[in-house]
This record gives sequence, C-alpha cells and structure tokens, in this order.
Amino acid sequence: MTEEYEVEFVDLGEREATFLVRPITPAFANGIRRAMIADVPTFSIDTVRFIENSSVMFDEQLGLRLGLVPLSTPPGEFEEGEEVTLSLDVEGPETAYSGDLVASDPMVEPADDNIPIIDLKDGQRLELEADAVLDSGREHAKHQGGVAVSYRHLQTVEVVGERGEFAADDPHVLRGVIEEQEADAAADADAQNGDLVPTDAFDNDLTNRYPEKELDVHDIEDAFVFNVETDGSFDVETLVLEAVGSLETRADELKEAVQL
Amino acid sequence: MMVPVRCFTCGTVVGEHWEEFKARTREAEEPEDPEKVLDELGVERHCCRRMLVSHKDLVDIVAPYQ
Repeated sequence: MTEEYEVEFVDLGEREATFLVRPITPAFANGIRRAMIADVPTFSIDTVRFIENSSVMFDEQLGLRLGLVPLSTPPGEFEEGEEVTLSLDVEGPETAYSGDLVASDPMVEPADDNIPIIDLKDGQRLELEADAVLDSGREHAKHQGGVAVSYRHLQTVEVVGERGEFAADDPHVLRGVIEEQEADAAADADAQNGDLVPTDAFDNDLTNRYPEKELDVHDIEDAFVFNVETDGSFDVETLVLEAVGSLETRADELKEAVQL
Repeated sequence: MMVPVRCFTCGTVVGEHWEEFKARTREAEEPEDPEKVLDELGVERHCCRRMLVSHKDLVDIVAPYQ
C-alpha cells in the first residue's frame, strides 16, 4: 500500500528543524525518532595513538573528549567500518581546540571549531594521531547524529464560549504547534484557518492569542510535529532521509529473510 | 576537569559555549546574569544549561600537582 504523506516545514535551519508529518501513526513516528538517534552512522574518533601527552589529563580522558567531538559525515561516501585519520599537535601555554585537528580526508572534519579539548600550561605538549570510525549510535553515544529528537501531536484550539467575568486571569500555557481553526477569534489580524502557528509566536500563552475566551485544546490524531536537532555531522534533511532509509533497508532485509 | 564536550542528557555540544559563558558571568567587569547569557548563547533545555552553570573547572587547580 502506498501513502501520501503531507510534510510541511514550520521552521528550517541547518542543524535544527520543526516539521509536520501527516497522516502518520505514533508507532511509525517513534520508529523514525529511534532511527534518527541510533541507526544513522556518523564518524567519531575511536582509536588514539599518543606520541606525547604531558598535559594534566590522562590519555584515556583525552580519548573520551576527542571521541565526543562531532565530525562532518558526508552521506553515501563511506561504508560502515571505514576509517579516517586525524592528527593534533599543540604546545603550551595554549588551549587545544577541536579546530586544531587536522584530517587526512577533507570531507571528514570537526563540525565545530572551538570546542576546548585541553588547557596546556607552559612546557606541556599534546601530539597524537587518531582514527575516526563510521559507526551508529547503537554502538556508542558518540556516534549519535541526532540530538534532542522529539515529536508531539499537532494540536488545535476550539473556542467554547466567553470567559466568565469572575473567572481567574491565569495564563493558559500551551507549547508546540497549533493548527488555526478559529481565525476570527484570534488576536492576530493575519490569521487564517489552516495556518500552522508555533506557540512561541504568542509567548506560549493562549490567552494572548484568544483573549477573553474559554478554550478547549484537542490533539489532531495522526498528525505529528517533529523537532529535530543534529550535532553538526550533517544537516537535518540528510538525517531524516538517512533514518527513513535505514528503516527501509531493515524492512527489505526482513522481507528477504522471510520469503520462502 | 575541562568542561564536558556534550550535555549528558541530550547530547548537544555545549563545550564550545563555556569560554564565553565564563568570561561574561565571572571575569567581566560587570558580570551578567547567567540566565540571560545562556539564553543569548542559545542553550535552551535545562539539561544543557546545568552543564554550564554547574561546571567547576579543575584543570587550573590540578596543574601544579602534575
């Protein structure tokens, strides 16, 4: 069976995006979320050969920090298990940053340049060679491409009457994205029914958008708003496409195994 | 010792914001409110915020004992 999915971007940045998908079941949405976190492979430093380390931190501590530095991972170029070598050579008194890492392959580079690795004092030196490996979040959290991936229902607000004159003046807080269906009652002059409005547009307080009204909030079934952030290894679009691709690959492998 | 590279809970990279955070909230002539500095640095979730707010830099303290 084929489904026509409606996808609409509420917000799109390079490392962060909010988008609506419908119709989608909660199970499938969760599957995509889990695939984004655990199944999309990323490059991360795995083995380190120290030539000189006279800093205050042990080799293993530095190895951990180096492993957590996000490295750019071009999609489709490498196979899982392939390695790229990076090197670092810094002499004190100076701080060694992730930007000082030099990669043998220019496609795989630190995604952020100013992550401090270690503070070196006068006379201390750090010289090392590291191998970055392509692996998935399932193996080690350092390989997680998606950080803070979440989804919530698309919600809609219904006006059920006027607020009583003696009712409390409390703010009605709602976070997420709403689909406008009471454009006439909205405080915004440009509102139209069917608009997707992120709640921070009205400071997360519904009484700002629908003043003096009594409101009922409903979840729209099968419509989910994803909020995806990446650590810099790739952009959001790549992450989502690779995640869905990995689900497809798994399903195909199962299909082959089951076929008699 | 050094500031953790990533938030323990969600995994966003917070190490890069430490130096600016420290400079603006402690070393500046007019230390600013940490809440405001974190908001401006774009550190949103409270799991990431506590990584910076509650970090104690031990590298300088340990250095003489090396």
